[in-house]
Amino acid sequence: MAYSDKVVDHYNNPRNVGSMDKSRTDVGTGMVGAPECGDVMKLQIQVNSATGIIEDAKFKTFGCGSAIASSSLATEWLKGKSVDEALEIKNTDIVNELALPPVKIHCSVLAEDAIKAAINDYKTKQGAPVSAETVS
Amino acid sequence: MFSGPPPTDYFAIFGIENKLALDVEDLQRRFYANSREWHPDRHARAGAQQLAYAEAASATLNDAWRVLRDPVARAEYVLKNAGFDIGEQRGRDVPPELLEEVFELNMALEEARDGDENAKAEVARALTKFEGLLKDIDVQRDGIFLDYDANPKHETLTALRALLNRRKYLQNLVRDARAALV
Repeated sequence: MAYSDKVVDHYNNPRNVGSMDKSRTDVGTGMVGAPECGDVMKLQIQVNSATGIIEDAKFKTFGCGSAIASSSLATEWLKGKSVDEALEIKNTDIVNELALPPVKIHCSVLAEDAIKAAINDYKTKQGAPVSAETVS
Repeated sequence: MFSGPPPTDYFAIFGIENKLALDVEDLQRRFYANSREWHPDRHARAGAQQLAYAEAASATLNDAWRVLRDPVARAEYVLKNAGFDIGEQRGRDVPPELLEEVFELNMALEEARDGDENAKAEVARALTKFEGLLKDIDVQRDGIFLDYDANPKHETLTALRALLNRRKYLQNLVRDARAALV
């Protein structure tokens, strides 16, 4: 199966690889995995609590090229968005942007789950009531 | 007995009840007996209908033997028939603590591949731990098998699905860890 140019680009030059201190209250961490392929994805956001804007995003993914590209793209999209805007990111947006084939759609689902998990973690730390949409 | 197609269900082709806990020795005896009985060579001159039956029955029997003799493949078969989606599983039924461990081990594996000796020791420790967890999972699995056979409830299968997801994860990790330590 051939990867699209965008997947190859994110795979060779992943954006925002790294990790943040997960004990910080302005950092939300999402850790998700796909047992079937053994993928595990950690995605973190650092939010300006005054503005609610995501100022930084980092990820580290162990998995296939599509999983790495999906999470790399997700961190690019997250930066500069408000937490509520970030919740609007759908796995289908990632599929379209990266031209993922049907067998790799679950990688984009994983990335969406990671975003939601990170936001959920951030909101929990802030003591805000977690909206139903982010509970998974 | 040669009228109509042979059963396609893996338990039915063996003539046994649909159970998760199976006596594999008994299954093997049945496999040999049925294989002899349905070997296409024995039916070559018995007419097209009977030969077709023998060929189809032999093919199903071979597939069924491969699947039912292995507890994990057998469980996946039962789960699939019960409508559980195998293949692209969502990660939600993997406990977060396990994900953390998976992540940490993957980090150590990456460092070990880069030649870090401390990381290798960490991988070796993790390997021992995960091999132990795999054994525990197989004991739990056998317990769930008996539980479900005695009282076939959907939530028991849900628990089995989650357990097999964990097992798959651990199996991949053990494989990767062994490869990194060579």
